[in-house]
Amino acid sequence: MRVLLIIPAYNEQENILRVCKEIEAYSKELDYVVINDGSKDNTLAILEENKINHINLIQNLGIGGAVQTGYKYAHQQGYDIAIQFDGDGQHDVTYIPNICEPILQGQADMVIGSRYLDKKESQFQSTFMRRFGGNIISFFIKRTTKNKITDPTSGFRATNKKIIAEFAKEYPTEYPEPESTVCMICKGYKVKEVPVSMKERQGGTSSIRFFKTADYMIKVVLAIILDSMNLKKKGGK
Amino acid sequence: MQISLRVALILITLVYMALIIRAIKNKKMQISFSVFWIITGLILVIAIAIPNAIQNISKMLGFEVTVNMIFCVAIFLSFYLIFKLNILYSKESKVNITLVQEISLLNKRIQDLENKENERSND
Repeated sequence: MRVLLIIPAYNEQENILRVCKEIEAYSKELDYVVINDGSKDNTLAILEENKINHINLIQNLGIGGAVQTGYKYAHQQGYDIAIQFDGDGQHDVTYIPNICEPILQGQADMVIGSRYLDKKESQFQSTFMRRFGGNIISFFIKRTTKNKITDPTSGFRATNKKIIAEFAKEYPTEYPEPESTVCMICKGYKVKEVPVSMKERQGGTSSIRFFKTADYMIKVVLAIILDSMNLKKKGGK
Repeated sequence: MQISLRVALILITLVYMALIIRAIKNKKMQISFSVFWIITGLILVIAIAIPNAIQNISKMLGFEVTVNMIFCVAIFLSFYLIFKLNILYSKESKVNITLVQEISLLNKRIQDLENKENERSND
């Protein structure tokens, strides 16, 4: 069973080395690849200096495009499980077995690490506005797919071989986390959540996944509804 | 229409048509788009050559003032063009993302192969 961690990184010079060292210290069997999404700081130099396995995107694509590159790589190399893992130190390596287990036991095709599933588990619950936004997205996912996803914007997720192939072919790059979840449920894949703990960022500034505006919410909800409608029309899997 | 206005409009239309034809000749524009621009140019020419035609058409369609019809048509055409460009842009950006990804993956593969080759020659 070969497992690949996909680590998207944009301007993560403060965090990226520590994250990689943590993974190496945790397990020697885990492969990882850092996707440098056209960082403007020293991220690339750090990756090269320390001989960290990385792919350097020649242009900045945003989180969705970066993560999909990771899935394409995983697909090419024939990995069995791919895990999305943030390059900013928010995610905790010790939860990797938990997040892989439902896939290993054949209970799920995709597993999402949720901050909200078990409130005691996570020390970091994020701000009120983010949680509120997350709830709205959850509500619409429930309405369109009948599945309960408590943390639809979580970037900590594991996928099996079938979904790696799906994502390598087509991955929603605009609002990747909620959209990809809806797409996979509508295509008939089993999506499961496990409780995880997330830490607060330890350095640098977060550039991604912020509920800055109502604008974002409206677009995500629209995307979810459109995705589910499109896929239902095609009959799914 | 006053003569001076008509002359000005004819001059503007001539410049407009010249720009369009030059762009098409120099292959700066896709054929599918050039058709749109040529048609708008032709409409302008007709409108200036036979001003009564436009007035009659607008009356027939029920516009109270001719200029309203002209604005109406112009706005619709602009919307259509923006819409078309928006679709084209969305398609292009998707293609772009794929290109960047594939090139970056190829770069990675080349680098990995070169590293392997170096190791082998060092042994």
